[in-house]
Amino acid sequence: MRAVVRHGGDLVRQVLTWALVLALSFPLFWLISTALRPDTELFVRPPHLLPRTYTVDNFSKLLFETPFLTYFRNSAIVAISTTAFVIVIAVFAAYSLSRFRGRFSAVVERMILITYLLPSVVIFLPIYLMLSRMGLANSLPGLVVAYTTFALPFAIWLLRSFVDSVPVEIELAAMVDGASRLGAFVDVVLPQLLPGIISTALFTAILSWNEYLYALILTNSDAVKTLPPGVMTLLTSSYHIEWGLLMAASVMMSAPVILAFAFLQKHLTRGFGAGAVKG
Amino acid sequence: MKVATDLESRDRRLGILLLLPAVVLFALLILYPFGNSLWLSFNRINTMTLASSFTGLSNYREVLSSPEFWQSLVTTMVWTVGSLVLQVGLGVAVALMLHQNLWFRSLARGLILFPYLLPMVVAVLVWKWLFNDLYGVINHLLMSAGIIAMPVDWLGSMPNAMIAIILIGGWKYFPFVVLAVLARLQTIPEQLYEAARVDGASAFARFFDITLPQLRNVLAIIVLLRAIWDFKEFDLIYMMTGGGPVSSTETLPLLVYKQAFPLMQMGKAAATAMLMMAVMSLFMVVYFRARRRFEDA
Repeated sequence: MRAVVRHGGDLVRQVLTWALVLALSFPLFWLISTALRPDTELFVRPPHLLPRTYTVDNFSKLLFETPFLTYFRNSAIVAISTTAFVIVIAVFAAYSLSRFRGRFSAVVERMILITYLLPSVVIFLPIYLMLSRMGLANSLPGLVVAYTTFALPFAIWLLRSFVDSVPVEIELAAMVDGASRLGAFVDVVLPQLLPGIISTALFTAILSWNEYLYALILTNSDAVKTLPPGVMTLLTSSYHIEWGLLMAASVMMSAPVILAFAFLQKHLTRGFGAGAVKG
Repeated sequence: MKVATDLESRDRRLGILLLLPAVVLFALLILYPFGNSLWLSFNRINTMTLASSFTGLSNYREVLSSPEFWQSLVTTMVWTVGSLVLQVGLGVAVALMLHQNLWFRSLARGLILFPYLLPMVVAVLVWKWLFNDLYGVINHLLMSAGIIAMPVDWLGSMPNAMIAIILIGGWKYFPFVVLAVLARLQTIPEQLYEAARVDGASAFARFFDITLPQLRNVLAIIVLLRAIWDFKEFDLIYMMTGGGPVSSTETLPLLVYKQAFPLMQMGKAAATAMLMMAVMSLFMVVYFRARRRFEDA
């Protein structure tokens, strides 16, 4: 009897938990379901849970009749350049912070922590003025410079935790064998650090890919707009809002992010702890 | 001995050298802009020529005497507390549920993470569609459940707009709480629960006497960190309501943006930003204290 009661309670709990999980994922389901239905099915009452007829019209319209591909390309260029630039500098900085502890590095460490809590709106005006003066406003290199402000502290912070987990002993052993400190770093530490570098690079790329505020103030022509402000322009520029088109754009711009996160599964907690998703 | 010291100082020099590029970039891209912001806040900037004239504290006086700033501060607090409560409540509940054995647990975990992984623009678009007054699913569900008789204008009226952004903020960020709490739950020794069970403690007693005290530290850190992040949230609110209707969801970051760009009152914007930073630094001090204390513990 008691076992039956417990079993029944367990069943209820399972069902309730899954009901909550499904309710919380409904927006995701609705996003995909809307992207795949024809316009005529958007305004049916009651709404169909699944499309009656599936179509990729929204996607083809998005690719061929809107500047979406330009936005996508710009986002990719900015994300890749920011990441490449930031990672090279961050690897050395993280190694230094992890291995050479001194007064200088303590100050730098504290600064990194503060900057990763620093709101963009506190520094965005000077950054905007500086980039305008340099002629970099409304250009992709300008965005890369602006993104360095948050990508660099983030990458250093996350990479440092990866360097910390590489045992010092192996590099000391290499040095006993006659390698210089820098040689030991390049030959022994870097290979061990590679998974950490790849993870940090992916996280950094996602941060840049999703960034909105700097892109909003620094770009104003379609040719240099990235996805976040670009897709918002698709929303505001038409007389009647084409929800199917917007949901298709949402699916397309999320796809690379979701793929990257799938690779990152093991490191999610670590990356989020370091602020991988800016909130 | 001499050789060792030599090595050490050479090492130290290498350490500083490796750090140097990062420090230079920091100085150029964060310290200088921060100082520049501070300086702008004491000046009136001509928008055409960008020429500045020193006006002392007048920007601060102007901002602090405008109802707009105080209204915005209250709005920011309402938003921060509202969405934070939702994030933590939902996050802890879901973490506890996922910690038990569950059919297809890894699938459930993956689905739960999704809101956090989606780009903010995507989250905003799908919620705008869900909240759409004429064809949105939310109004449809509420109407067919008999809760409302007429479609509700979610984003264009108050307090609906504030409720909407708080709900979306809760939904977008609760997975962060889930991840952090789950990670901590996995480190609570099973023996504690077994011992309590042997002593006849009920499930509730076990939760309040074992789980909650064990989670206290991690929850304190999460609340502080999320409070800081929510306080400075720009993207979600700006894209969702633009601060409207009128200015009823205009939090401080949106106010700074409005002063800086559409209005081009740079000095005033910088002063508002500095005041916002001052409020936030209270949170930050508490956060750093808590971090240090829990790391030592």
